[in-house]
Amino acid sequence: MNTHEGIDASISFEEALKKYKTGIEIIVEGARVNTGQTPKEVIWTKNKAKLYHYIPVVEKVAPVPILLIYALINRPYVLDLMPGNSLVEFLVSKGFDVYMLDWGTPGDEDKNLSFEHYVLDYIPQAAKKVLKCAHAQEFTLLGYCMGGTMSAMYAALFPGKPLKNLILLTAPIDFTPENMGLFGVWTSEKYLNPDLLAEAYGNVPGELIDVGNRMLKPVTNYIGTYVTMWDRILQDKPMDTWLAMSKWVNDGVPFPGAAFRQWIREFYQQNKLVKGEIKLRGRTVNLANITCPVLSIAGTKDHICTVPQAEALMQLISSQDKEFYVINAGHVGLLTGSDAKKTLWPKILNWLQPRSQIAQS
Amino acid sequence: MKGMALMSEETNRQKPGDPMEVWEQWYEAASKGWSNSTNGNAGKTSSPNPFSLYRTWLQGVTRAMEQSQQGTGNPLELWKRWFEATADSWRKAVEISNMGGDSLGLMKQWLDMMDAARAGLLAGMTLPIAPFTFFKQWYDATNETLSAAIGDVIGSDKFMEVSSEFLNDYANLYALIRRTNEDYLHNLQLPTRTDIARVAELLINLEDKVDRIENQLEDVADDAGHGLSQLDDVQQRLAAVESLEQRVGQLEQRLNGIESKLDTLLAAIATLPTRTTEPVKVPSSSRRANRTADAQRQKSQKSQEAEAQAAS
Repeated sequence: MNTHEGIDASISFEEALKKYKTGIEIIVEGARVNTGQTPKEVIWTKNKAKLYHYIPVVEKVAPVPILLIYALINRPYVLDLMPGNSLVEFLVSKGFDVYMLDWGTPGDEDKNLSFEHYVLDYIPQAAKKVLKCAHAQEFTLLGYCMGGTMSAMYAALFPGKPLKNLILLTAPIDFTPENMGLFGVWTSEKYLNPDLLAEAYGNVPGELIDVGNRMLKPVTNYIGTYVTMWDRILQDKPMDTWLAMSKWVNDGVPFPGAAFRQWIREFYQQNKLVKGEIKLRGRTVNLANITCPVLSIAGTKDHICTVPQAEALMQLISSQDKEFYVINAGHVGLLTGSDAKKTLWPKILNWLQPRSQIAQS
Repeated sequence: MKGMALMSEETNRQKPGDPMEVWEQWYEAASKGWSNSTNGNAGKTSSPNPFSLYRTWLQGVTRAMEQSQQGTGNPLELWKRWFEATADSWRKAVEISNMGGDSLGLMKQWLDMMDAARAGLLAGMTLPIAPFTFFKQWYDATNETLSAAIGDVIGSDKFMEVSSEFLNDYANLYALIRRTNEDYLHNLQLPTRTDIARVAELLINLEDKVDRIENQLEDVADDAGHGLSQLDDVQQRLAAVESLEQRVGQLEQRLNGIESKLDTLLAAIATLPTRTTEPVKVPSSSRRANRTADAQRQKSQKSQEAEAQAAS
């Protein structure tokens, strides 16, 4: 029996030693847990990117498939973290045809990949494959974090069919320094030279990006995480979710240099997106061209994409059917965990169902 | 070095005894040596003595140990005294750092954190029984203050200047090492990462071309499929038209048959003797046949009348 003070005095020395051994193993060897377990198949590849189709488990009720787009940093299996804690699994179980574009791990040869490639080549081709595989005429695009920013740019450059609906999760659109918290200071032109980093590294190491994200809340991320770990081990609480999140947080991928340059220079430092000054291969990204139904979701405790950063989209698009929804959660907590099952997942489901031509039973 | 020599001389003279006493003596000797070496002949202390912090803490610990040996302190009292000793030493550290300038304000904030931790822990009146539990209570008590302190630091211009400089210098160093390694391997006629990346780029370009061809073939197949489906539609419509034509032809034949039957009926009716003066209503087809028969009778009557007139 465990008390609120951690270890009951009656616990044997061997058991205590075992618990401490478990914790030390996790610290030294890293979290070892299976993630991204929802059955899927690869239907298309391009360079390192893979387009996954999640195997349906129930009869399809929505003829409009969903294409998930994640950011260029960290891995997309956060959307399919583990059985019972997976947005993908949830959507598949509700009869949606779900696809995900995994960008893969860039190599040295990919240092020149920029947003032109991702928004004008990868996403349109992936969409085409989705429509062909699903035998559909239209699709829903769901973007998370930087993937949401890219999805918004795609929707602005390719308005109308086949894009039916646009869902953005914690997608930063407005990069006004006052709205960005610490990121606004760290990424200013005075302190961060993205050209120097891109020239030196080619692809900016995932560890560097990870440090930047963790330094937003250093005590919580560097100490608090392990306090939680020890607390759970010593009180025999389930460790699966903690292990899966720890694995994902430490599983960063390199950021292609050209895209990194654009992301910092044109988005964070010059805030060109809201001004309509982003140009991809000569084509201006004008968010006012977005006319499809849009759902944008942000978290009040999100330090990576603050609420004003995401909300700015609502003033810029031309959609008649648009909604901005705020959840009391952080950047990742919004997506996974017990609260997500009560807030984000039902919200997405209830918003999508009437807009995905659900077949009447 | 003089201080270290003094220290070893003094310890060598001492018999082995209480470790705390030995430590305290070593500490005193080292502290004197530090003072002598930094002050020289100046006489006055101008720089902070790092040993003074430790001296204060050590004195507090010594007092606590004496009390515990005397049995006068309960565990909670010991904690309180530990905190007092530690807080005193940090308070002195803040005063010292104020002379030298605590540019980041860390010392003061650390002291605030210590005070908060003391108040929080002692208010709980529970003593942790496991190392982690103690650490967790300490973390819960100090987390917010420490986070706020560090948040102020990492958001400050001074920190950013230092960090930015470090980041740029590291990046330049990394680039230099990379170039040097590339040149070295190049001279050894060994493939470098750049060479491998170049080959990979060629493969990616090849894959792009294959993708484009695949897309065009798919478009052609889609168009052909679309055309084939349209041809199917046309053929189906033609077949439908043909079957319609056949049915219309059959209907015409049936109608002709019905007409001929009706004509036969009418002819039969016309030859029957009439019993009433009311005209017999006959259907139009029969009326047509009757009209024809009437016309023929009228013709024959006229011809008979004409013959009769001619004969007369």
